[in-house]
Amino acid sequence: MKTYTYEASQALFKRAVNVIPCGIYGHFSPAPLVPPTDYPFYVSRARGSRFWDVDGNEFIDYMCAYGPMVLGYNFEAVDRAAREQYDLVNCASAPSPVMVELAEKLVDLVTVADWAFFAKNGGDVTSYALMVARSATGRKKIVMFKGGYHGVAPWCQAPGHHGVMDDDYRNSIFINWNDFSAFERVVSENKGQIAGLISTPYHHPAFADSELPAPGFWRKVEKLCRQEGIVLIIDDVRCGFRLDMRGSNEYFDFKPDLVCFCKAIGNGYPISALVGADALKNDAAKVFYTGSYWFSAAPMRAAIATLDELAKIDGPKLMQQIGQQLIDGLCGLAKSHGYDLKATGAPSMPYLRITNDDSLMLHQDWCGECTRRGAYFTSHHNWFVSTAHTEEDVKQTLEIADEAFKVIKQKYGDQF
Amino acid sequence: MSHDYAHSHVKACLNLHAVFKNLEDMVAFDPETAEIVKEWDISIQFSVLMGPKAWIGFKDGICRVERGEKSDPTVRLFFVSSAHLNKMMDGKGFPIPLKGFKNLGFLSKDFPKVTNRLEYFLKPTDALLADPDYLAMNTRLSLNTAAYAIREIGLHDDIGKLVAGRVPNGIVVMKILPDGPAVHIAFENNDILPGKGEVNHPQACMLMKDMATANAFMNNKMDTFSAIATGAVEIRGQIPMLDALSLILDRIQEYLA
Repeated sequence: MKTYTYEASQALFKRAVNVIPCGIYGHFSPAPLVPPTDYPFYVSRARGSRFWDVDGNEFIDYMCAYGPMVLGYNFEAVDRAAREQYDLVNCASAPSPVMVELAEKLVDLVTVADWAFFAKNGGDVTSYALMVARSATGRKKIVMFKGGYHGVAPWCQAPGHHGVMDDDYRNSIFINWNDFSAFERVVSENKGQIAGLISTPYHHPAFADSELPAPGFWRKVEKLCRQEGIVLIIDDVRCGFRLDMRGSNEYFDFKPDLVCFCKAIGNGYPISALVGADALKNDAAKVFYTGSYWFSAAPMRAAIATLDELAKIDGPKLMQQIGQQLIDGLCGLAKSHGYDLKATGAPSMPYLRITNDDSLMLHQDWCGECTRRGAYFTSHHNWFVSTAHTEEDVKQTLEIADEAFKVIKQKYGDQF
Repeated sequence: MSHDYAHSHVKACLNLHAVFKNLEDMVAFDPETAEIVKEWDISIQFSVLMGPKAWIGFKDGICRVERGEKSDPTVRLFFVSSAHLNKMMDGKGFPIPLKGFKNLGFLSKDFPKVTNRLEYFLKPTDALLADPDYLAMNTRLSLNTAAYAIREIGLHDDIGKLVAGRVPNGIVVMKILPDGPAVHIAFENNDILPGKGEVNHPQACMLMKDMATANAFMNNKMDTFSAIATGAVEIRGQIPMLDALSLILDRIQEYLA
C-alpha cells in the first residue's frame, strides 16, 4: 500500500510560521498530531467524505473538519442554497428574512427551543449562554465538569494557560463528570450563588475516553437545577444533530434551559446558535451581544438546507449506523492482531484508543500509519462520521487499518 | 503570604534545588571545573529560616547537591530569609556562617571559582554558543535546570500548582538525540520527582533531534510549534503532560530571568 509524504504541506508550513503565530494555531495545530510528519497540514480540495491535501494525497476524513462537515464536503443542496442567498444578499445593513425562517426552523425542530439567537462559533454562544444565565439569576458562579471543552474564551480555559487571569475563573467551580453528589455538595456550599451549570451532553474530553451519563444522572441534575434556580446549559456544539435532531438532551432524556449549537448546523458554513426556553427570552434580550458577521444570510440559508436534509434522511441514525460499522470493523481487526481497541462515546463521533499502551504512543503510531495510507485518524480527539461516509469507505478504511496494525506489530513485536 | 515573600521563596527554592544542582554535571563534564575541585573535601549546608535547605558536597572529584540537611557538614551557612539567600546568589549579599569558620577563606576565594563558572555556563551569548563544547554544556545544564525547576514551580508557584495539579501520575522524559543527555520528571500523587537520565515506559516524551536544536529550544530561541511540526522536536505519548510541563517551564522567567 502506498504511503504518503507531505513535502508541499511542510513547505507551506515553513512559510506560515514566518507570518502566522504557530503557523497553524488552535485545534488545527499540528502539535497534537503525533507524529506530525505522518499528517497533512493543508487541504487543497474536498468532496463527500474525502479531502485531498496540497501534495495530492487523498484521505477518507474521519475528523469532518472537527465536526462541521455532517452531510459531506461540497454537498450540493446546501451549497446551492448558500449560493442563491449570496446572489440575493449576504452581509448588509439589516438582517435578511432568512434569519426569521431559521429561528422558526430551530424552534420547530429542537424541543426545548422557544427562541433562537445566532452567532458564528460555538464559543460565541457558550459565552452568551453564561451571560444570559447570570443576567437571569443575578448570580456569578458557574459549574463545569473537569476536562469539558466549551471554547477558548478565558473562562473556558484551564487555569494557568497563557492570557488567562485569576479573575477569569474566580467564579468557576469544577467537578468530576457524572459525580452528582459533587454537584449536590457545591450547590449546598454555594447556596443562591450558582447561575448555571454548563456541560456537554456526554463527556468527550481530548486525550481520554468519552463517558456517557450514568443512568439517571441528567434527570437528577435537572431536578436540582430547577429546585435551586440554576440555569442548565447544554453545550451541544459537538454532538448537536449527530445524536438526535431534537437536541442531544432528547437522546439522554432530559430538558435543559439553554442549548448551544454550532458545527453540524451549517455543514461548514459559519454559524452557531443559542436556543432557549421562553422563561429566559427576556433575559436573552437584555444581554447586549453581537458581531459583525452574525447576521450573514448565506450561512443561515445553508443551515436551513442542512437541517432539512438531515431531517429528511434521518442523519443521526445514518451516522450512528455507519459509525457502528466502522467501530465493529476496527475493533475486530485490532483483536485479530492481538490489540484491544476501545471505542467510547456515540458511534457517530467515537473516541478510539488502543488500550494495550496507556501512554497512547502505540495508538498514536497506529493512527499515524493509517493516516499516511489515506484514513485520516487523530489520536487525541473523538472522530466524526458524516452521512457521506459509505460502506465502501469503511471497507477501504479497514484495509488501511489492517496494514497499519501489521506495521505497528512489526515495530513493537510482543511488547504490548 | 505576600506576593514578595512568595516570589522570594520560589526563587530561593529554584536557586538551591535547580540552579546549584548543575554543579554536579559541571564537575562531571567540564574539565576546568573538575580540575578546580579535584582536591576538595568539603560539604556546605545552606539553610533558609522557614525556607528551603540544601547541601553541596565535594569529595574525590565528585559533586553532590541534595535537598534537606546533611548531618555534620563542614560549613553551615544560614540565611534569615529567602530574599537573603537570593541576594547572595545575585552577588549582593553574604550568608551568616554558623559553622566552619576556618573555611571562610574557601568560601570567599575557592567556592566562587565554581559558582562563577556556573554563571558563565548559564548565561550564554551568541559568541559563546558558537563553541560546540560550550553549547553542549549550556544545553545540558539548561535541561537539568528545567527538570529540577519543574518540581519547585509545580509545588510552590501559585499558577504552577494549578497546572501541576491537573497532571496525572506518570513520568515524562526529555532527551536530546541521539545519545542524551536526558532528564525525567515523575508526577506521583501530587509530588514531582525530577531525575537525570531516561526511564523505561514513560507516559510522555520530548525528543530533541540534536544539541543545537535542544539549545535553541531550551533558550527560547525557537518557535516550538514549528519545531514540533517539522519533527525537529518530537513529542509523543500523553501530550497534556507535556503541555503542562511547558506551562510550568514558562514560569521560570518570572524568577530566573
